[in-house]
Amino acid sequence: MAKSFHLEIIASDRVFYQGECEHLVITAIDGLIGIMYGHEPLVTSLPTGELKYMVDGEWHYAAISEGFIEVMPESSIILADSCELPEEIDIKRAEEARERAEEKMRQKQSIMEYYHTQAALNRAMNRLKLSQKHFK
Amino acid sequence: MANIREIRERIASIKQILKITNAMYLISSSKLKKARKSLDATMPYFEKLQTTIESILEHTPHTRQFYFDKRQNVPDEKRKKGYIVITADKGLCGSYNHNILKYTEQELAKTPDTDNCYLFIMGQVGRMYFQNRAAKKASVDGEFLYTTQNPTLYRAREIAELVLEKFEEKELDEVYLIYTDMINSGQYEPKTVQLLPFSRRHFGKTADGTMKKLPKASFVPSPEEVMAYLIPNYAKGFIYGAMVEAFCCEQQARMTAMDAATNSARDMIKDLSLLYNRARQAAITQEITEVVSGANGLE
Repeated sequence: MAKSFHLEIIASDRVFYQGECEHLVITAIDGLIGIMYGHEPLVTSLPTGELKYMVDGEWHYAAISEGFIEVMPESSIILADSCELPEEIDIKRAEEARERAEEKMRQKQSIMEYYHTQAALNRAMNRLKLSQKHFK
Repeated sequence: MANIREIRERIASIKQILKITNAMYLISSSKLKKARKSLDATMPYFEKLQTTIESILEHTPHTRQFYFDKRQNVPDEKRKKGYIVITADKGLCGSYNHNILKYTEQELAKTPDTDNCYLFIMGQVGRMYFQNRAAKKASVDGEFLYTTQNPTLYRAREIAELVLEKFEEKELDEVYLIYTDMINSGQYEPKTVQLLPFSRRHFGKTADGTMKKLPKASFVPSPEEVMAYLIPNYAKGFIYGAMVEAFCCEQQARMTAMDAATNSARDMIKDLSLLYNRARQAAITQEITEVVSGANGLE
């Protein structure tokens, strides 16, 4: 078994995970990054996306929206706006959010509003994707 | 001796007020429960956010990133300062609003020229106060309309975007956040935090004064790009945390104030009913005396 490191995933409304972890895979701005014990110090930001971490040889998946990660050789901290397990995702709510965002995209908007809607659409799509992939 | 009718009316009106304060007490205590819950849920994030940013900054090589730009070429009296002030939407919460408004005034007085201060006020009470005050110097952003009730991340994001945009366009050179900090459940006091420009505080030294040797962390893809993303995120997270904390303090303050008001109303009613009964008895005694003396006069 691989050596484990301490991982903390903290969302703005709760402590999502706190404990040992053997392997962590995050989606950074420019692609996937895998982290194991003894990784070099690293700081990067996380866009809305997927996250997986291995505890006791088992992969756990989570949907994450906007945050950043600080990696140290023996510990990692992820701070995010929100973080959810696939089974916690409210599909109906995400579906509604997607429809709302798509509807808004068809309207004429200011650039700022456009970015907001796009971000909302991203979050909804990410949730839907993750819950379809890992939770049936 | 006071008039019986007057006392009766007084008791009735105090009873009415008692009903209101008691209801407000109950409302704020149930809201406080909710606010406490969200505060407890957010606190780990809020604290971790600050410590993590500090530790990230320790590992950050010197950057020429935009948000770190102190704009030293702008002279002190010309610096445009923005203050985000979190007040309550309603009064009747003891010294909560008073404290934060006083504190803001003091902060404004510290600046060399209040003309260059821009206030972004959350909450009705603060907005009314600063719009109507006599020394109309610092300008209040009239379109900055945000409530402090039930803070959401969405609202924090909008506020953060607004101030960051103003900072980028050089409409503001410094941004501060003034909010009420909860020390423990019964104690709270106003606090200022500088949001922008992002200052690298001097954490480089350990307790014994020696310089810490810290490995430089690598930034993917580059320090500038990560910072450009991280700082808005930090600002948003910080504003959200401050909003949650201030809201909790407000409910706490209102609950305490309303509890005190209810108690003193009860005391007043007690005193007044004693007075009322005395007056009533005096009136009866007087009536009896009059009847008896009248009867005596007839004999």
